[in-house]
Amino acid sequence: MTRAPGGRDSFVGVGLRSAHFPHLLGRPGADVDWFEAISENYMDSQGRPLEVLLKIREDYPIALHGVSMSIGGVEGIRPDYLRRLKALADRTDPFLVTDHLCFTGAHASNVHDLLPLPYTAEAASTVARNVAQAQEALGRQIALENVSSYLSYRESEMTEWEFIVTIARRAGCRILLDVNNVFVSATNHGFKAEDYVDAIPSELVAQIHLGGYSDMGNFLFDTHSRAPTPAVWALYRRVIARMPGTPTLIEWDADIPDWAELEAQARKAAAIAEEVLHRQPA
Amino acid sequence: MRSTTFISDPSFVASIRGGGKLSADEALAVYSRGYVARLTEALGETFEACWRVLGDERFFAAAAEYIRRNPSRSANLSDYGDNFLRCQAFESFEFPFLGDLATYEWEFKELFHVAPHRGLDAATLSARAKPDSRFRFGSAHRLLCFQHRVYPIWKRDRNDDSPLDPGQWQGPEHLLIYKKEGNSIFVRELSAAEFATLNSLRDGRTLADALESAPGMDAEAAQSLFGFIADSGLITDVS
Repeated sequence: MTRAPGGRDSFVGVGLRSAHFPHLLGRPGADVDWFEAISENYMDSQGRPLEVLLKIREDYPIALHGVSMSIGGVEGIRPDYLRRLKALADRTDPFLVTDHLCFTGAHASNVHDLLPLPYTAEAASTVARNVAQAQEALGRQIALENVSSYLSYRESEMTEWEFIVTIARRAGCRILLDVNNVFVSATNHGFKAEDYVDAIPSELVAQIHLGGYSDMGNFLFDTHSRAPTPAVWALYRRVIARMPGTPTLIEWDADIPDWAELEAQARKAAAIAEEVLHRQPA
Repeated sequence: MRSTTFISDPSFVASIRGGGKLSADEALAVYSRGYVARLTEALGETFEACWRVLGDERFFAAAAEYIRRNPSRSANLSDYGDNFLRCQAFESFEFPFLGDLATYEWEFKELFHVAPHRGLDAATLSARAKPDSRFRFGSAHRLLCFQHRVYPIWKRDRNDDSPLDPGQWQGPEHLLIYKKEGNSIFVRELSAAEFATLNSLRDGRTLADALESAPGMDAEAAQSLFGFIADSGLITDVS
């Protein structure tokens, strides 16, 4: 499922965070359509986190979002990682499994960060090979997210958006388009965010992320510590108009607000998606 | 502080440019700082009580030293710090119980992620247990023996910042931490005799052997311990 189910105009979810577990376990009838779970928080735990996720899954669709697959790693993806991720996916039946278009280190050391890749044909081949490995092991198509970045490579041969589209087409995977990350990287590297999002074919996009960054003075930092800024909302409006119904997520990982605030941001995204759709000519 | 990962590798450094107003060095520093911050946060989550005892400055210094020497190898951040208790910086502090406390916190974290097991109920266990019975324990428990008392320090009120005195940690401690009723975690302080009995039972000795070999285990204590075992759901099978 990569469009809103049942012909609905919007399909907006939020990240499942432990700070909200007590509230959500009370089955409050949360006004969100789905939840996204960080894969690594559940694939290595058989304890309370998994218990909560399975409870949530009884009432809502979920997507699994990883941060450590390291799809750009030249050593390939660790087979045991894929085995554990598949076990989690088999148990939770997510509508989508995603990770980031990046590398997170070598097998001998994990930097737990989302390092951008050089935008080269060689790197695209590496990623395509790893996507094939992942999709084969998981038995399903995956989607890769564009990351925020603070550095680039001297050897890059193409733009980031050309790179991600090349990979999606060659590897047969989808794109998780993080609108906030596009805005952050566009500001940091000096390209137009609109050029980026306009170049992404809508049929390749399986999901959209929205989040908040921090302005550090000389660069924007992808902190996920606040609500999306007006500029990011404007970019989202532009994106969702081209791909109505695409599942959209509010990401909030630091300084996590109370549930009501998070829910309000999700409703805001849904309202924009519905407003844009209804303004379009029939 | 630049980490010891490939981020600081000269060939990697030579291959990159900074983004926007950032120089290459500044861009690398963003990632290096993020690496240290993430691992420090992971250590702080696992070793929260050690952090409270040491205070921010000393805990962060110990964490920084540990991170510099120990790259993270797991995809899962919560795996990081398995030998943090053996960090040299800990040995220089005035609290001799820190290694025990760190071990307790690590084992507690590990138990948190273990699947709960389904233990025999009290009536079934009581009906099946005979003096020559051997018990199989479920996986959702940890039996721990320390040189210092760490449980009172671990469960201290988080807002209690009064100084610790040796009377609070002196003396050995035997603990059982276990899951019951799903993923709820319980802690039981054991006598040395109870610890020895449980340890013998886990090693596969018969109930009679385990009770007889535990020094100081009289009939009343044995009955009390068996009552606890029956209620705890620790045992998954009797043979």
